[in-house]
Amino acid sequence: MSRHLLFVLILPVALATCLGLWAQHAGGGSENKGADSYSPSRLSDGTPDFRGIWQARTTAYVNIEGHPAEKGVAAAKSIIIDPPEGKIPYLADALTQRTKNYENRASADPASNCFQAGVPRATYLPTPFQIVQSVGNLAIVYTDNHAYRIVLPSAIPHDDGIDFFMGDSRGHWEGNTLVVDVTDLGDQTWLDAAGNYHSDQLHVVERYTLLGPDTMKYEATMEDPMVYAKPWTVRLLLDRDKRPGARIIEDECLEGADGLWHHVSPFDTKAVAHHDYKAELEAAQKNP
Amino acid sequence: MDKAKAAGIPRLADGHPDLQGLWHNQSGYEAAMANMRNANGNLAVALGDFHGAGFPLPLPYLPIAEKVKDYRNLHDPYHDPEAHCHIPGVPREIEQPTSLFPFQIIQDEKNLVLLFEYTHDVRIIPEDGSSHPKHYWAWDGDSRGRWEGDTFVVDVANFNGRTWLDMEANFVDENEHVVERYTMVDPNAIEYSATVEDPTVFTRPWTLHLTLKRNPPKEQIVYYDCHEGERDVEHYTRSEGNKANKHE
Repeated sequence: MSRHLLFVLILPVALATCLGLWAQHAGGGSENKGADSYSPSRLSDGTPDFRGIWQARTTAYVNIEGHPAEKGVAAAKSIIIDPPEGKIPYLADALTQRTKNYENRASADPASNCFQAGVPRATYLPTPFQIVQSVGNLAIVYTDNHAYRIVLPSAIPHDDGIDFFMGDSRGHWEGNTLVVDVTDLGDQTWLDAAGNYHSDQLHVVERYTLLGPDTMKYEATMEDPMVYAKPWTVRLLLDRDKRPGARIIEDECLEGADGLWHHVSPFDTKAVAHHDYKAELEAAQKNP
Repeated sequence: MDKAKAAGIPRLADGHPDLQGLWHNQSGYEAAMANMRNANGNLAVALGDFHGAGFPLPLPYLPIAEKVKDYRNLHDPYHDPEAHCHIPGVPREIEQPTSLFPFQIIQDEKNLVLLFEYTHDVRIIPEDGSSHPKHYWAWDGDSRGRWEGDTFVVDVANFNGRTWLDMEANFVDENEHVVERYTMVDPNAIEYSATVEDPTVFTRPWTLHLTLKRNPPKEQIVYYDCHEGERDVEHYTRSEGNKANKHE
């Protein structure tokens, strides 16, 4: 009966923690160093209300260092704010690897395998994500490959010794800013479609801050001594999807006849498998 | 089906039952653990051997659908979408994987969200009275929820016709329609039922019943991923409808 498991690579592990530790971090307004003036609406425990569907206002998914116009995508500047020249401070060997990645990007990009995008790439994909939040709980659900992250309180230590596509997230509030510390990221994700990359030593600190009811500022600082000479930081804006009834739609890849995996929108008629049981049985009899 | 107001269960500020937390299929878990012991801890054996826990077998197939099921089970087991790391669909995702891989419920007032450890499957179920979309076909279908007393009722339609119900080729197609009912009966137990109808596969609707138990308080979801490793050309081409069977 083990036949089905021959095909899969699974990465489960047992961990233990406990929920409900958010409260001790909530409402710590005195620590707000961002001095952002907007005061968001709040949940009943006083934590800022980040619920909703969010979409990056950038085409950084093409190349976070900026890119010229191509394939119907307008040109964009680097989203890197530190260092100020907008370039990732690669170590020399790592820059060579990035160049190789770029040259082979059509097939080498992990996204071509329909892998989960990793952090921070998932944030600025051309598809939205949804923050679901209740007292004591916060999760981020991405459209892309139905990835999700459950942000546990910072009081609970990270899990060591295992890598996840979407890392291991711990969050706390600094004033109205959600600060998420992300570790346990693997080396099988990239930062964009241009071959910018990291190792499994990547450590990301994200900062989510509402600038208004429908605008969120996102910053992420990347540290990876195997690949970068020093930490560096991106900043971008996210817009709330205000359309009535807006929803995250299911994104599941299908294996095509070419043996490759392809995203198939559930709004595409190719998503549905219409059945002809009579024909299926007749074909089965011809090819027993 | 609605129980009287259960006493002693946790409630949200709006009075609805607070179903939040980690849950698993109790009977499936027990079967899996028993099989794991029998198999010297071989997880794969356990996963394969507790299929169907809770399903009212045999399912009431139309004759032609039963032949299709029997043929696939004998000759085309790799047709199982779980073998290709796909989303299990409804109600399989509640019945089988959660025996070993729990799921977490978060209620954010606007949605009841199911976050499954297995294949990082997610269902965000709106409670806003909205209706199913048109021209949308998904592995998990489209879910719309509402409260009937203390029971959370979910209407699920818009399936893509690609999911199986278990590893023995019991299946549904694109005409599947499911009504799920989640009723918390004590702080650590949810009675779950799923009534499945599919007029092109079954002669009549049938209902799955099982009990979801709360996981121990210090457990959490662990990220799980699944990607195909081995590529078995023979079986994969057969699974694509025999179009390229290399034995021809």
